[in-house]
Amino acid sequence: MTRLGEVALEYRDASLGYDRPVVTGASLQVRAGEVAGLIGPNGAGKSTMLRAVTGGARVIAGALEILGRSRSAYDPRSLARVVAALPQNVSATFRFSAREFVEMGRHPHLGRFVDLSSGDAAVVDEAMERTDTARLAGEAVDTLSGGDLQRLTLAQTLAQQPRVLLLDEPTSHLDLNHRLQVLDLVRSLADEGLAVLAVFHDLDMAARYSDTLAVVHDGSLGSCGTPAQVLTGPLLAEVFGVSAVIGTDAVTGSVSVTPVLRRGDMPEPRGVRVHVVGGSGSSARLLRRLVREGYEVTAGALNAGDTDHEVAVALGLRFVPLPPFAPVDLHAEAEAAALAAVADVVVVSSTPFGTANLGNLRAAVRTGGRLILTGSLGPERDFTRGEAAGLWDAAVVAGAVTAASEDDVMHAISEVSER
Amino acid sequence: MPRTARRPALVIAGLTITLVAVVMAGVMFGAVPVSLGDIAGAMGRGIAGRGGTGVSDALVLGLRIPRVLLAALVGACLSGAGVLYQALFKNALADPYILGVSSGAGLGAVLALAFGGVGALAAVLVPASAFVGATLTMLLVVAIASRAGRLETLSLLLAGVAVSYTLAALTSFAMVVRRETMARIVFWMMGGLQAATWQYVAVVGVMLVAGLALPLAYSRELDIILLGDERAGQLGVNVKVLERMVLASASLMVAAAVSVAGLIGFVGLMTPHMTRLVLGPRHRLLLPASVIAGAIVMVLADLLARVVLAPIELPVGIVTALAGGPVFVWLLMRDRRRSL
Repeated sequence: MTRLGEVALEYRDASLGYDRPVVTGASLQVRAGEVAGLIGPNGAGKSTMLRAVTGGARVIAGALEILGRSRSAYDPRSLARVVAALPQNVSATFRFSAREFVEMGRHPHLGRFVDLSSGDAAVVDEAMERTDTARLAGEAVDTLSGGDLQRLTLAQTLAQQPRVLLLDEPTSHLDLNHRLQVLDLVRSLADEGLAVLAVFHDLDMAARYSDTLAVVHDGSLGSCGTPAQVLTGPLLAEVFGVSAVIGTDAVTGSVSVTPVLRRGDMPEPRGVRVHVVGGSGSSARLLRRLVREGYEVTAGALNAGDTDHEVAVALGLRFVPLPPFAPVDLHAEAEAAALAAVADVVVVSSTPFGTANLGNLRAAVRTGGRLILTGSLGPERDFTRGEAAGLWDAAVVAGAVTAASEDDVMHAISEVSER
Repeated sequence: MPRTARRPALVIAGLTITLVAVVMAGVMFGAVPVSLGDIAGAMGRGIAGRGGTGVSDALVLGLRIPRVLLAALVGACLSGAGVLYQALFKNALADPYILGVSSGAGLGAVLALAFGGVGALAAVLVPASAFVGATLTMLLVVAIASRAGRLETLSLLLAGVAVSYTLAALTSFAMVVRRETMARIVFWMMGGLQAATWQYVAVVGVMLVAGLALPLAYSRELDIILLGDERAGQLGVNVKVLERMVLASASLMVAAAVSVAGLIGFVGLMTPHMTRLVLGPRHRLLLPASVIAGAIVMVLADLLARVVLAPIELPVGIVTALAGGPVFVWLLMRDRRRSL
């Protein structure tokens, strides 16, 4: 077995492709014990990276080494003993039994006239056990569901006892339960010393199961590093054309990616500026909706760590950023007021108000007209001993519009801005 | 697993016994029936080298036995080639006749018959020329049918038909140019075993063995290639080498069958398919079983051809086409759901 940490698969300034290169100048190391994830848009060349190893694509320039030996030093049999691949699409139009299908994975280890030994049978048994396919052994593969077939194909690759495992969209046909099961299995295989290179479409899964991520974009291999280093807002915007909130999954602790806006979603600007006073995640949906409908949006003071803050960052809005839990001090209030003053419409979301964020409300109310207040400010929302309610009521008296729901708010905005 | 290990042996044994029985029947029945005793006597005398005296000895040893054995070998060749084509093209509709390979072998054989020598030279030249014709035709059909490395069922069948027609025209042309050989060629082309001799039995037997040896040794690879060329490569199969080996082996068997029996359709299609339905797709069993089943089918078809309108003999190709055409249509309709 390869020692943990030893380089098992290495691309060195490699150009890979068919008649013409699809990926150029790719350099990447995958170590034993490591799951390396490849991400990138469709057609960027992720699969080509894998197919260059298994022989579907060519190494046009540079070097590709497997366990320290050049790719070209392997014939199909010797390669299949150390590298196994799980293809993206698996189809079965033949009536092999599931077990016979998995047994095919032993082929590179068997002599020409030699049958499966009891040792081979044990490898097959274990592969089927670990992929939860043992109960399918007697079934005909052409009758299985896509998910069963995918796990069976994984069993087939495990039967090869590879040292490098290539996965192309390993969970595309799997339900949530089996997706986690398969990826947990891949993770533990890596922990046992397998080197894994996997193409992921699901960025959350990529972040959760990969030790390192590499981005394939525009025919080259871009940033490599840990998921937290690679999955950043600017990178996602550049590579996928998506503005996203990058967070940390509260349960798994891995990086999580929530797409907020697609480049293609941007409509014609309406020339109407809306200032939103939010906080505590109360305005995240509204901010996104306003941007998607072509409004120019600004926001009041928002604390880092607040969902509204993350969304405002992802959307690239002008707002007043504050450190976590910092109060809206006079300085911040003045900045917020300045943003509100130049807006055509000011919206106060359904956020609760306390002494820390009262400045936000003050800044909004101070602007006077064209104010939309969401909901009503009862004691369940007012933690200022009535100070916020006083500002609120005064604003209503001065002509502010109240709206009950997000739809009402949108409606009110278009009415108010047309006045 | 003793059960799965025993089953193939049992199946092969059962098929072999059936083949022996059918061969016996083939020798016994015909325009002139021969009893088992006569056969045993004739064979005994033949083996002992005491040349037979009676008419029945000449009939049995000189005509019936070589004819029935040749039928068995031709059926085995066609069915074996069918299994190989079906695996290579992952398509249950592939067979030497439909792919145009038989026509290619036919043209090769006709050219040798029309322009080549006679006697011992012809016995080697005709199959050799048929082999060249079969191989070139297969390469041509695949080249025509493949688009960007992919082979679609429909384009493969269409290319096969188109090439077949062209080759048939060339064959007719060769016959017209050499009128003196035309009668002989026409009779041969309809698919008949009348000309059977021990010499043919020996030549076809050797070609069958040569054509089967490598594919039998590579039966596991033939299974794996059904998963698709790229996947087979990932599992350690050298697809290019396997492809060439399979095509050469299949062409050899087609050439053997066609050069002695002319164009006989559908045996190479139906027999492997039926065998696969019963025994499953594993070539370790499927290939030998189909070969024996092909022999059985062909001996029966030849028997029918001899007795249905006795004393008139039908060309055996007519019998197989009458039975096989409808089966092909059935497969075509059914193939919309599943291929192998």
